[in-house]
Amino acid sequence: MSNEEAIIQRLVEKFDILKDRLHFQRSKRIFSDFLTREEFETVLPYVRDEMGFNRASHVVGTDEGEDLGFIYLLTNDDGVILALKEKAPKSNPKIKALTGDYPSLEFHERELVGLFGAEVEGLPAGPPYPLPDGWPEGNYPLRKEWNPEYFDNRTMSYNPPVEAEEKEAEQSE
Amino acid sequence: MSELNRVVIPIGPQHPSLKEPGCFTVTLEGEKIVDAVVGIGYNHRGIEKACESRNYTQVVYLLERICGICSHTHTTAFCQGVEELAGVEIPKRAAYIRVLVAEIERLHSHLLWLGVAAHEIGFDTMFMYTWRDREAVLDILAEIGGNRVNYAINTIGGVRRDIDDSLKQDILKMTDALEEQVKYYRELALTETTLAARLAGIGKLSREDALKYGAVGPVIRASGVDFDIRTVDPYAVYGEIPFKVITDTHADIFGRTVVRVLELLESIEIVRFCIKNMPDGDIVAKVPRRIPAGEVISRTEAPRGEDIHYIRSNGTEIPDRVRVRAPSEANWHAMRHMLLGQYLADVPITIAAIDPCFSCTDRAVIVKSGRETEFMDWAQLRQYSIEWYKKKGIDVTSIKMPERRRYF
Repeated sequence: MSNEEAIIQRLVEKFDILKDRLHFQRSKRIFSDFLTREEFETVLPYVRDEMGFNRASHVVGTDEGEDLGFIYLLTNDDGVILALKEKAPKSNPKIKALTGDYPSLEFHERELVGLFGAEVEGLPAGPPYPLPDGWPEGNYPLRKEWNPEYFDNRTMSYNPPVEAEEKEAEQSE
Repeated sequence: MSELNRVVIPIGPQHPSLKEPGCFTVTLEGEKIVDAVVGIGYNHRGIEKACESRNYTQVVYLLERICGICSHTHTTAFCQGVEELAGVEIPKRAAYIRVLVAEIERLHSHLLWLGVAAHEIGFDTMFMYTWRDREAVLDILAEIGGNRVNYAINTIGGVRRDIDDSLKQDILKMTDALEEQVKYYRELALTETTLAARLAGIGKLSREDALKYGAVGPVIRASGVDFDIRTVDPYAVYGEIPFKVITDTHADIFGRTVVRVLELLESIEIVRFCIKNMPDGDIVAKVPRRIPAGEVISRTEAPRGEDIHYIRSNGTEIPDRVRVRAPSEANWHAMRHMLLGQYLADVPITIAAIDPCFSCTDRAVIVKSGRETEFMDWAQLRQYSIEWYKKKGIDVTSIKMPERRRYF
């Protein structure tokens, strides 16, 4: 059994919720399916403290349609990357900040706030990153529905075309 | 000293040690730094969003422009990720060429850093020496790819240009001459007392903190951790190449200097190995335009450290998500920690010591008229500067300058 398979087996034995949800993609790569916030927070302390995944290289934000995805790239001393995924609905995109345990995630979590509109609870105060000052509120450029063609650099405003139905409604008024 | 005596100084975005904007707000008690806030993001260009509206081949060219110094490492990470998704194995010769160019890139990047660091501490002679030697490396890169910085060697499925015997000889001549110089820098780094006096004990980062703050590249290796993606997660043909991962235990800027200088010698050996052992054969494999759905994490060891690309395909010819975690992005966290407790005067060299990325894409061009342009070579450039100084009333022709060393 490879090192990666042993890691998966140990995690699945410990947590029933991970059964069939961890995938050995290739040497040094383990991917999980998307977990809910509750599931993620149950698994994470064990992975970090007991399994030796004590370094966090990055957190990748993704747009999953109705949800936002957060892929934490955790590394152990052997260089194995465990991509542990968490999902939160766009309507309530709250996740817990991991900067306390993994200080290397601070800028990456700020990025989730700026580019995806995630609410990272417990993130220490600091300058926004990476969007410029004066960036219009409610504009999260890495969400799929945000189209750069409608953004005006000079006025820093986002002007999507008015939908046909809305136009008709406006005219009838 | 009470908190009332604290002074807050914003350093940047136009910056004393970088040619790229970053704002470092330091809080001082007297001369000592008690807090530091790193403000970055001024150069955010929306490249990841742009990747989501271009096909895989176009993305290669886009990602090449993330960084002017380590452009090859980004395309390597991306191309090998896409090849993994597509289930394509690239020809061995292409993998060798990728490694060869990556190591020549490391040579020019580390020489650039040595120059910048020397300049930051007022050792401008070394700055001039290293940048002179770096020119020879850039000349070789220009010969390989047609350009000094964005050499565009990588393509999905292999490389775009082959390396012939005459070019191999040129590269070997360059490495022979460079090795001699680097050995001199090694002696300088290890024995020059002013260098040690200025750099030792500055920008301290313990092994534990380096791991905690996620430092990468020469920064973590100078804190005694042998973390190098080339051995931790070998890619291309690194698994076949014998080389040593350089570490140091000084855990300060002196250590980072030693690591980079010794890595130059390792890179020279890797270049020689690649030239000697490069097999014959094709340089590119066929890859379908539509990449099968899936996700992949691709890693390379850039000159500055671990470069991570996350790529997700939805089965079309346009990627669904591309995320690049460049090495400098990882080192900022550690750098903030390094600044605490330092003196204000050490800020520029501490920042420069992580080798944050800045672009060096200019060439000396003289515009003759509105349309015609002419490139200046070394001799012409020298003559131009002599004339320029003459107009200011200074005649520098009496100073004897050695002829520029031609490495090939």
